[in-house]
Amino acid sequence: MASFETRRSRGSAVLGLALRLTALCVLASLASAQQQPSVRGFAVERFYPSAPGGGWFVMDDLNISGGLGGAVELTSGYARKPLEVTSPDGKTRLTLVSDEAFADAGIAATYERYRVYLNFPIPFLVSGHSGMLGPFQLNAPAVSVGTNPDAVSDPRIGFDMRLWGKPGGLLRLGAGAQLIFPIGDRADYVSDGRYRGMLRFLAAGDSRAFSYAVQLGVHIRPLNDSPAPGSPNGSEFLFGGSAGRRFTVARDWTAIVGPEVFGETAFVSFFTPQQTGVEGLLTTRFERIGHGRNLRIKMALGHGLVQNFGAPQWRVLGGVELFGEFSGHGK
Amino acid sequence: MIGSALVSWVANAQSGSPAPRPEEQPSLMKVLAEHGEHDIENESWNAYGQFTYISSWKLSFPALYTNLNGSINSLLPEAERSFTGTATLYLGVRLWRGAEAYFAPELISERPLSQLRGLGGAIQNFELQKGGGETPQVYHSRVYIRQTLGLGGQPVAKESSPLQLGTTYDGRRLVFVAGNFSILDFFDKNAFDIDPRQGFLSLGFLTYAAYDFASDARGYSYGGVAEFYWDDWAVRFGRITPPKDPNQLPVDFRLFKYYGDQMEIEHDHQIHGQDGTLRLLAYRNHENIGRFSDAVATFAADPQKNATTCTSFNYGSLNASAPDLCWVRKPNVKVGIGVFGEQYVAQDIGVFSRAMYSDGKTEVDAYTSADRSASFGTLAKGSLWSRARDVAGVGVNFGWISHAHAQYLRLGGVDGFVGDGTIHPARENSLDVFYSVYLPKSSLWLTADYQRVVNPAFNADRGPVNIFGVRIHGEF
Repeated sequence: MASFETRRSRGSAVLGLALRLTALCVLASLASAQQQPSVRGFAVERFYPSAPGGGWFVMDDLNISGGLGGAVELTSGYARKPLEVTSPDGKTRLTLVSDEAFADAGIAATYERYRVYLNFPIPFLVSGHSGMLGPFQLNAPAVSVGTNPDAVSDPRIGFDMRLWGKPGGLLRLGAGAQLIFPIGDRADYVSDGRYRGMLRFLAAGDSRAFSYAVQLGVHIRPLNDSPAPGSPNGSEFLFGGSAGRRFTVARDWTAIVGPEVFGETAFVSFFTPQQTGVEGLLTTRFERIGHGRNLRIKMALGHGLVQNFGAPQWRVLGGVELFGEFSGHGK
Repeated sequence: MIGSALVSWVANAQSGSPAPRPEEQPSLMKVLAEHGEHDIENESWNAYGQFTYISSWKLSFPALYTNLNGSINSLLPEAERSFTGTATLYLGVRLWRGAEAYFAPELISERPLSQLRGLGGAIQNFELQKGGGETPQVYHSRVYIRQTLGLGGQPVAKESSPLQLGTTYDGRRLVFVAGNFSILDFFDKNAFDIDPRQGFLSLGFLTYAAYDFASDARGYSYGGVAEFYWDDWAVRFGRITPPKDPNQLPVDFRLFKYYGDQMEIEHDHQIHGQDGTLRLLAYRNHENIGRFSDAVATFAADPQKNATTCTSFNYGSLNASAPDLCWVRKPNVKVGIGVFGEQYVAQDIGVFSRAMYSDGKTEVDAYTSADRSASFGTLAKGSLWSRARDVAGVGVNFGWISHAHAQYLRLGGVDGFVGDGTIHPARENSLDVFYSVYLPKSSLWLTADYQRVVNPAFNADRGPVNIFGVRIHGEF
């Protein structure tokens, strides 16, 4: 009996020790988890292309007119260091997303002053460097065509309307709305994992050889990963403008050359550097309009003017648009 | 009439090409054309779409054993339900003279039977994809450019349809395709003009069950295809990308190191005024795959190299007494050759048959576990009973495995789909009977389907299995 009790007490001691060790391990892991919160990722791309047939890369020329028509577009680009984040103490900087390449395919239908469109972003490459920033564990994405051969991330459906002004006139005013569907993976830094929306007020105009466009808007973004460094802090204010000069380069072709500047800032920390990104593009587009089906070829080089919050160090873009009235009378 | 009739198929989320749409079927493009807003015979663009929901019920069935000794690939003997839901948008645009570009984003949600394990070429729903889930996934199924160079001959009119701009080609022409597509968009493409999503549900009728064409887990590939049409003859060659690991989604783009090559010769003919087609298809894959005999020999030499001790990609078998292909994957060659014939025998009634022999030395890399297959069937449109848009069909599909494959399975090995822990080798037989009802003026079809699978996974110790299915399919 004594022997049995001894065994039982030893057993109890061993069991108690095991339980205590287990509890310590659990507490330690919880503490570790609390000390090293992992950031889940978000849609890092801040280049929101204009609707198919929209003219500029980001702005919209609002030349929506005529009978039933449409547009198809393919835009592709590469961004270098679109997400560099700094530790809360400002001492460490991590290139969480160092390389990003994508294509964006879209279609639009237009009628008189209205346009509806659908865009499908296709990530080719999203990669970077993982690391710790303060207490935060940041895991870099690893997307490539090889590992994700058929990926589509966060398609969007949109509606634009020319409210005032005539095509080719000095001033046109319009508005647009977009709904972004969260189908991508947050860990790939291509999606917030939540529905997003945009409301934009648009202005554009032409005066002889000059064109311009402006946008102000709201990016309705439920995701708020504060205080994770570099992460979205909820809804954002969108802004941007463009200006260009038109040149005749061949009998049927014109070129429009000029800059586009666009950016966004989180409402909760309006225009603070950590929550603001501003990017400039030097754009050139070649257009053949009025000869049946209209064609536009676009190219751009970009630079992050405020390289935060998704604005890359530099980027290169190319795009092709086919657009016009279905009956073939041109835009 | 011939042009509006039947077929054996192709097509699905996992591969295959949508069929041309009958002229009287409503669509956005036809509405635009009717209002003078679109030249449907010489299109500069088009847009089509489809959605399909398939539900399958497998009844419980007898089995001497299931997942023996920790193997994992048995079809579960209890009753199960499976479903797929797909939606596809087909966009096409003409780029320049002879050049067309196509883009087809697609959505799928699915629940397979037994995690898509336990059937060879008789998988009951051709829409099922490896690695899919109930959470809807969106992906681009196709992004490719097609360039046609006319060489003369009689003009051939192509009607506007998904993945086909309305246009006229030369009867003699060269066609080059590059991009991301299903190889079944071009090879083993059936001539009877019925969309596969209106036809057989069984995967065994999609193409040759033994045609292990290189593709990712969804059935799509990157690469190029060249076609040469000369009146009634066509010859085509394609080189496409295989998966990095067998039956997985990541793709190996080293097209000069790992690839799937295929070549097909096709001839259209008439017998007593009825159209028919004959094809000969051969494929040769050079992929990172394992040979069954190597896996068995490796296990015999060192039982520690079994299915539970893999140090590289494997299917997760828990059978420690079984060999596994994970130990022997290396660059290997897989070859096969098949013949296909289809023939109208009356108005809107056709028969078809296809058979393929693959070498059976290596594991399945992308399609099904069958090493040899044969199928026969007949399809009929409902014009005989005044329902011209209805479709009915009955077909049988047979699948075999090689001796080396059977020996590997007998020892408890598993491949991408089959492996019960042991096997009593037998021919896998499946019967598929369906009827698709067209709902007038709706572009909707409702289908009832019955399948019976004997010797599932080539194993006479299990089954037979009875599966009932329903489908709703819409086009716009």
